[in-house]
Amino acid sequence: MNDQVYYVCKYTPVELLKAFGAECVHLNAMPKNFEFAEQLAHPNLCGFGKALLEAVMSGSVRRLVLVNCCDTIRSVYDVLQDSGKLDFLYLVDMLHSDTLCSRERTAVQLKGLAKAYGEFCHTEFDAEKFRNAFAAPERVRGPHLAVLGARMGTELFEMVQTTMPLPVENASCVNHRSVGEVQPPAEADFDVLMEWYAGELLRQVPCMRMMDYTGRKQLYNDPDLKGIIYHTVKFCDFYSFEYAQLKQHAAVPLLKIESDYTVQSSGQLLTRLEAFAESIAPVSCERGEKRMGKGYYAGIDSGSTSTDVVILDQNREIVTGIILPTGAGAAIGAERALEEALSDAGLHRDDLDAIVTTGYGRTAIEDGDKSITEITCHARGTHYLDPNVRTVVDIGGQDSKVIRLDETGAVINFVMNDKCAAGTGRFLEMMAKTMEMDLDEMSVTGLNYKEDITISSMCTVFAESEVVSLIAQNKASDDIVHGLNKAVAAKTAALVKRVGGEETYMMTGGVSKNKGLVKTLEEKLGTALVISDRAQLCGALGAALFAADMA
Amino acid sequence: MQVVDTFGRFVERYGETDSRKARRLLKTGWEMQRMRLQLRPEQRLFASDKFQARLMMDAMLYPLKHPDESALVSVFTPCELLQEVGLHPYNVEGFSCYLSASHAERGFLQHAEGEGISETLCSYHKTFLGAAQRGVLPKPRCIVYTNLACDANLVTFRRLSELYGVPAFAIDVPMQQNEANVAYVADTLRQMSEFLQKHTGKTVDEDRLRKRLRRSKRTLENFQSFQRARADRYIPSDLVTPLYSGMTLNLLLGTPEEEQYTQMLLDDVENAPAAQGKRLYWMHTIPFWSEAVREQLCFRKEAQIVGCELAQVCEPDFDPEKPYEAMAKRMVYHALNGTVSRRIEAGIRHAKEAGADGAVWFCHWGCKHTLGSARLAKKKFEEQGLPLLILDGDGCDRSHGGEGQTATRLGAFLEMIGGAVNE
Repeated sequence: MNDQVYYVCKYTPVELLKAFGAECVHLNAMPKNFEFAEQLAHPNLCGFGKALLEAVMSGSVRRLVLVNCCDTIRSVYDVLQDSGKLDFLYLVDMLHSDTLCSRERTAVQLKGLAKAYGEFCHTEFDAEKFRNAFAAPERVRGPHLAVLGARMGTELFEMVQTTMPLPVENASCVNHRSVGEVQPPAEADFDVLMEWYAGELLRQVPCMRMMDYTGRKQLYNDPDLKGIIYHTVKFCDFYSFEYAQLKQHAAVPLLKIESDYTVQSSGQLLTRLEAFAESIAPVSCERGEKRMGKGYYAGIDSGSTSTDVVILDQNREIVTGIILPTGAGAAIGAERALEEALSDAGLHRDDLDAIVTTGYGRTAIEDGDKSITEITCHARGTHYLDPNVRTVVDIGGQDSKVIRLDETGAVINFVMNDKCAAGTGRFLEMMAKTMEMDLDEMSVTGLNYKEDITISSMCTVFAESEVVSLIAQNKASDDIVHGLNKAVAAKTAALVKRVGGEETYMMTGGVSKNKGLVKTLEEKLGTALVISDRAQLCGALGAALFAADMA
Repeated sequence: MQVVDTFGRFVERYGETDSRKARRLLKTGWEMQRMRLQLRPEQRLFASDKFQARLMMDAMLYPLKHPDESALVSVFTPCELLQEVGLHPYNVEGFSCYLSASHAERGFLQHAEGEGISETLCSYHKTFLGAAQRGVLPKPRCIVYTNLACDANLVTFRRLSELYGVPAFAIDVPMQQNEANVAYVADTLRQMSEFLQKHTGKTVDEDRLRKRLRRSKRTLENFQSFQRARADRYIPSDLVTPLYSGMTLNLLLGTPEEEQYTQMLLDDVENAPAAQGKRLYWMHTIPFWSEAVREQLCFRKEAQIVGCELAQVCEPDFDPEKPYEAMAKRMVYHALNGTVSRRIEAGIRHAKEAGADGAVWFCHWGCKHTLGSARLAKKKFEEQGLPLLILDGDGCDRSHGGEGQTATRLGAFLEMIGGAVNE
């Protein structure tokens, strides 16, 4: 049987439990799915709440001490209590302020837990074990990055550590526990110790549940802090408030990522993390082995629907640009597209000095000398096409992103849509299908609208049902399509706002061909969008420019 | 409907360019609605509910007209102390509801999300935040809120305090029900009294406060009697009347008008016809804007809502002679405080008292407590012989609707449960 006591919050009285001989474990693993959890709880519960249910219901946790962190944890406690799956389950009622009165109330809570756990495991409070449990927390020293925001699962944090060019401190939610910095007073009895301990727990750097969270400033005012990865969990709202303020004042680069607390969601965040790492430590174009070509450089952008190749000569002039469907696999698609590009340019593989790959399939391509994210490449390619551009709006089939670049074409900031079709080309594709028209037709249909219809749902399923009902009401196709364009434009404009968009804007991606949407987005942003006829080659072009840097 | 649509669109549009103009328009529109409630009230409602609709509209209009005499509050903040210092409740949830009813919520929701606020935050909070950030909703004198029932209050009201630059007071309510926690909250309420006196320059007279608490007690007793008496009566209802009760019985509790409303309810129920149709007790907020819900439950003899959880969150079993302890007891022993089993038990009890045939557990998008306990509630209600429908949706934001699904779920549930029609 598993005798470990699991906990989830930094306000948990871990040292007290250790004084009763407990082995305490921070429960933070990300499950593969929520198979058990969704039988017990609503799917819209936050991912961590579901991860907690999953861990208990799968039988890996038998003893659990929770804190009333938030309404989700309160609910999870209720569900777990009803399930009867735990040998020991306790909820510490921690108040939301650090005052004399709240310390007194917290001390009462600590004594309640001591009594309950002591009775459960038939042990008594051991003052020596209590004192020994206090150890100074380890912190990352020197230049570093920090993960802030909602709790980050172990697997995702490991991925962050691997991806980033600097050491990373995990200062999210449950982490950055400071109890242990001060030792308990000597010769104090149990009551005095608990009152002191309540103060120690409450005086930590506050999490966002605390009424006064001004102490959190120390987390991002550290002079050694070189960048922030701000993490939120879907359906956990506390930290979005801090992010909303931080994004306006942060003195260091800031990346916002959101996970649903599953291992799968972490995988989808890799591109963003790599692009952020590239923006912190500019892409190095050194390499070990050098090809002896004839001064040509290729960039391959392996996307979900098409694979694009650009070849540059030694003067960085475009020799050729090829767009082919990706087909069954990224590697084969890339091979095919490269062959086609070489043949188009009248070149051979040996003529190439360097190849850089980008896009979703970039790591699957073995031919490349280097792989760089499509965000960095996209920025570089855009800058090549039009050096005045400072903001790129890229709406593709699978995702939409907005990239801010500086006058050299380097990425300053970027945002991507969530794991959802809302605001992407796929959304429009689905709606076109519902309206029984092709994308070319849809592109011009909304231009001559008469009635200003609002489609309120951005969820593809709900929006589809709204469209069906509008069709049933005999609304004109022009009006419905304009409503859909408005919905996508609003979503895109929100991304532009998040990234701090500045003129000049360029729009790229397949959706840039949609005239109706471009017009609506221009109205929403109050500015014109530059559309280049080579926009679809931006990623491959950027990659080819990075390849040329390797010369 | 088209008039409201156009009205909402103009409020949103001015919200982007001229917030004062947007506020003026909002005020004018709501004043016209107030006039309509006076001159051409909904004839199918009983006198008590017509009266309440006007009370509620007045409660919304006052902060727009006199923001400096208003305190921004969360719905479960005890308001008797506010009344004693001449402050009017300026309620976040209520304003968002009214903005939604005015078809003006979309732009504000999008604005708040654009600022970085989570898409999954409760739409009542997000709509208000967006409208406040746009400058459409005026700056209050001060803010008083509590974490009770909703932890989003902790972040929303703090943000509003920073945004408006006004002082805020928080009432931290412990989860467990015991006398020590009542004493703790009573002390906090005494500090709140000092806070309000400091920021208004007025004095709280304890004798007057006792008198007010006596009135609160009588009001809650009246409403309890009404809910019990309605078990075998048919009281015509739309979708907003039960919500208004949820609002006014919290925000206006302690006022003579609210007591008068509950007395009128008792008069009306005596003359009401016998019960008919299927009867639903509603947990959490009601999506009043939903056509799918309206078609099946609004002024329909075949099926209706006979009570809403939000109007029955506390018992009148407090001692008004100790006013601070009385208000503290209401908060600590509030049905939505502590473990969810308390909330579920209160729901079952109140549903049975009102003669409900079934209940709806409305999973308002973003309400973590309601979402988290939905399955547990279903199990517990049904163990007590009350079928429960878990219905997903949003009380305020139309984009979380899914009207087709709502119609099917609710329709099938009504077909499934018993009620007078099936007898």
